[in-house]
Parts: sequence; C-alpha cells; structure tokens
Amino acid sequence: MDRRALLASMLAIRAFEEALARHPDAGFQLFSSGEEAVAVGVCAALGPHDQLLSSGRSIGPALARGLDPGVVMAELLGRATGPCKGKGGRGHLAQPAAGFFGAHAVVGGNLTIAAGVALAMQMQRTGGIVACIFGDGACGSGALHETLNIAALWKLPLLLVCDDNGWSISTPREAALAPRSPADLAAPFGIRAASVDGMDVIAVRDAATALTKHVRGGAGPAFLACDAERFSTHSTATRETRSREAMEAARARCPIRRLAQSMRDEGELREDALATLERDAADAAASALRFAERSPPTDIDEIRRDVD
Amino acid sequence: MSTERVAKVFFAEAIARALGEAMARDPRVVILGQDVGRFGGPYREFAGLHARFGDERVRDMPVAEASMVGVGVGAAAAGLRPLVSITYMDFVMLGLDPLVNYGAKLRYKTGGQLTAPVVVKCTAGAKGQGVAHSQSLESWLAGVAGLKVVAPSTPADAYGLMVAALADGGPVVYVDHKRLFPTAGELADAPAPVPIGRAIVRRPGRDVTIATHSYMCRVADAAADRLAADGISCEIVDLRTLWPLDVATVAASVARTGALVTLEEGQLACGIGSEVAFRVREEVGRMRVVRLGAARAPVSGNPRLEAATLPRPDDVAAAVRRLLDAKADER
Repeated sequence: MDRRALLASMLAIRAFEEALARHPDAGFQLFSSGEEAVAVGVCAALGPHDQLLSSGRSIGPALARGLDPGVVMAELLGRATGPCKGKGGRGHLAQPAAGFFGAHAVVGGNLTIAAGVALAMQMQRTGGIVACIFGDGACGSGALHETLNIAALWKLPLLLVCDDNGWSISTPREAALAPRSPADLAAPFGIRAASVDGMDVIAVRDAATALTKHVRGGAGPAFLACDAERFSTHSTATRETRSREAMEAARARCPIRRLAQSMRDEGELREDALATLERDAADAAASALRFAERSPPTDIDEIRRDVD
Repeated sequence: MSTERVAKVFFAEAIARALGEAMARDPRVVILGQDVGRFGGPYREFAGLHARFGDERVRDMPVAEASMVGVGVGAAAAGLRPLVSITYMDFVMLGLDPLVNYGAKLRYKTGGQLTAPVVVKCTAGAKGQGVAHSQSLESWLAGVAGLKVVAPSTPADAYGLMVAALADGGPVVYVDHKRLFPTAGELADAPAPVPIGRAIVRRPGRDVTIATHSYMCRVADAAADRLAADGISCEIVDLRTLWPLDVATVAASVARTGALVTLEEGQLACGIGSEVAFRVREEVGRMRVVRLGAARAPVSGNPRLEAATLPRPDDVAAAVRRLLDAKADER
C-alpha cells in the first residue's frame, strides 16, 4: 500500500466516525479516531487469505480491512443489511468472508479465539495468518499470557497487535501493567516482538510487514506494540478524565496530519489534493450513512433466529 | 428379529470408540485438553487415540482452561470440529468466557455467518475429591441461550450422545460422571447415535415418575428397587439432554403416574429439577411433585459429609413415600 492509499484509508475511518458521531441513532460506540494508523498499517500487511480479529474498538480495523462502509454503518445502526444482520453491532462486527473474522467486546476475549483460528488455519494449511488487535487494557489479562504460551508452543501463525492507547478507561497503563512496554510480554515466550510509534502509519506498516513475513514463514507468532492515542473518551458512555493539555498533546500526534505533512514536505501531496481526499472521505461516509438509513431495521423475528 | 451383536463395554471405551470413529471419518475432529495424549485421558476415555491419530489431532494443552476452551471455540469457528476435554467440571468456570460470551452467541451475533461446532467434555460429580472437584453444574450451562447440554448415564448413551454432539452445530457441553466410569453396559456392534433433546424411559412403572440424569439414574434405580419390595412401582425417565429438555417424554410419564420426583446431583436451588417440574406442570396440570438435589452447601471431600450432602437411595425412597402419601396439588 502506498502512502496515498494509507492516507485515504485513515481519512475514510476518521470521516466515517465523524458522520456516525453526528447521527442521532449512533448509540453506544467506541471510536478509533487517533488510532487509525494502527489498523491501517497492520491491514496493509495482510493478504486476502488472512483473518483479522479485533477488540470492541472495531470500526477502524473493519474499515481498514476493506469492509464496505455502507454495510458496516448498517450493522452499527442496527439494520438488516449489516453483515451480522444488525445483531452484532460494533462490539461484535464480523465479516469473515471479507477477512474480518470479527470483533469481540470482552477485553482480552478475542485472544484465545484468535489462537484457535490460527490453529485451524495451520492445520488446514491454508497459508493464511491471523492478526489480532487488542488494547493495552488486555495486557494484564490471563488470556494474553495463555495465548502467548500456546502460540509459542505450537508456532501458531498469529500476529498479536497491541493497540496501546495508554488507558483502560480511566486507569493509565502504568498503573495496570508492570512491564514497561507491552512488547516486553513477548520476550519470556521467545516470541519476536517490535515496538513502534503507533501514530506513524509507515512505521506500523513496515513493522507489521516484517513480522507477518516471519509468521507466514512458519517461524511462529509475533507481537507488535503500537504506541497510540485515542482522541475521544473510551466510549460514548464514558466521562473523559484527561486534562485539556493531555488531550491537546494527544491530538498533536494525529497520524493523518503527520503523514500528510511528510507527503507535502516531499512534494507528494499538494494542498488542494489533501482537501480533495478529505472531501472524498466525507462523501463516502455520507453515502454509507445514506445506505444504512435506507436499509430496513433488523426484523424482530431475528431474536429467535441463529440461537441454537 | 435383530441379529445385531452386543458387547459389554465400560463408559470410557464407549467414548473412545465414538471419538475414534468420528476422527477416522472426519479429519476436522481434533481433541484438545489436559492429559488427552499419550496418557489417554484422565479416565482412559481417549485411550489409543493418540497412537492412532498423532500429536496434531490429539493435543495435550497447558493446564489453562480459558485457553483450552477459547482455542477450541476459535478453531471450531474457523472450520475444525474440536472436542475440548476439561478434567473436572469445576474447571469449566475458567473457560466460561470463551464458551458463554463467544461460543454460545457466535451464530446469533454474526447473523449465522459463523458457528462454533465444539464439544466441551467435562466430568461432573462427587467422589471424595473436595469442594472444587465435585460439582455438577449442568443447570448453570443449561440456562445459557445457545448452549446444548447432554449427560449420558449408560455406555450406549455415552457413545450415542458423543456421536451426536460431534456432529452438532454446537456448542455442546458433554457431561460425564466420575462414578460412571467404572460402570459397564451393552454397546451394539453398530450402535446408533442418540439424538440430542430426547429423554428415555429407563425403567417403566405405574405410581411415580422419577426424572433424573447421569449418575443419579443409578441412585434412582436403587431407590426403585427398595420401593418395589413394598409394592411401589417407579418409572425412571433419564433426561439424557438437559437443554433442549424433552419435556414431552417426562410429561407423558407424569400423565400416567400423576406424581413427579426430580432428582439431580447438582444444587436444588435454580436446578434442573425446578425447570423440569415447572414445565411438566405446565403440560399436565395437576400433579404431585417433589424436588431432590444437593444440599445448599459445598460438597466436602470428607466421605461422611459428601454422602450427606447428596441425595442417596434412601432419601429418594423416603421422598417417594411422602409424596405418594400426600394429596395431589390442588392449585
């Protein structure tokens, strides 16, 4: 993926979330704004036969993986045209046929599942790998340690990506995790690891590409820690606890502005070209919203379908 | 006239046979868990399978049930058909997040895009091993939408329900019992699967219906023998599947006998018996009913305390006599 495509992908996520946030029926959401570079950089390293799993902060990962924004918006707004028929929502958004095995909204809950998906792909010799994006809040959970252990023992084709935004709602990572870096957790298991600036999409892409090469080669799992920022509250139902100065410092690291600036500096992006890309992203988001709004709401009978 | 031959087999042999046949038929079937490989399973219920199918398909795992269940459920979602072996049912608690929050809801939450055809096999029941190695938690799991729960009481059902569970869209929790492993029973040369959701009348009788499952079928049978000496005839219905419940078979029996005893090794409060009794009552109207189950106390490893905590044949016989002496429920 070249820099222009990476920029467009990040802009698409930002514009999508801005459109969703303004919608009166947006409901309970966890936004990826600020963390776009993690999802986009990791997905740039994935191929069509790979699967991506995410935490409940799924909008960035799903769009970066290439899911149609219209059906994603439909799923988030509870419409029948969502890939999960509007029954999963953001927390459980999934479209495995498009390479997004799915979100799971229990912190750390998708880690052992991802190991299982990786085991199935290893045994079926599909040649694909699994990437699982989880927050730093999952790093203290037993599920991560169990997953690291089994993935190392069985050399599972699994890339674990810690989207480290530094906060478990109100608890800073320093108060929740003894090791200094999430990537330190990989070392005792002999798992190859890298730490990158998660606001630098090029760095994320390059590190993810190197690690996926390692994983694809059958050498076992890898761990990528991305130091990122979330630009809004943990969720739409949560209070912000950070100071205005801290928020400004976080926003100053914006991955979109950063990439655009470096492309401008190197003559790869004209000022009007960025405006055009931003307008395209806003148009695509508006179009996704229109598709969702025109879609029928999920039928009440769906309560009894696909239960057993 | 059937010419089919039958053999006496132990519970563990029946399970191993069902798994061996399924694994030979379907390369997607794999076994994950503690001590499932060369060791052959805590009760030798996987004996011979590692030698036959190898390390890749019969995998020992670290003693970490959350990942045992999570890996099993995830692999099932991605196309395998794993059986996850949890040595004691008490430890399934460590795997409840992937089982309940993910596996049980997967088909629903993805709108049918994904399913989790996984069997979680765990061994329930008390046999002197103490408060965290003795529990029968079927009622917890039967209360979860999206889970099926089966609990065989004979080797033939152990075989037949295992075949059905491995073929099901899942997840299925397969509950066997420590005290059933030393028991033997008949298994045909070409045994049939036992459909999930089908109870069976284990012992026909006239005067009272005892609805029970797993090892408690044997306790009920011992009680019925004692009562028969006094001319009281008990019909024993083995539920076999705890969700979906076969209410019709129990209700048909109660319609004949007019009296129902529910009997389980798990706790009485919010137990299987409460669900069975109420739903049978909704079907048949007036009936006499009593529930029996474990006392609301942990199950100690002290044999005297353990025995006193759980229903014994004498308790069941006494409850039947009291019930038959009482007037029919007038409500």
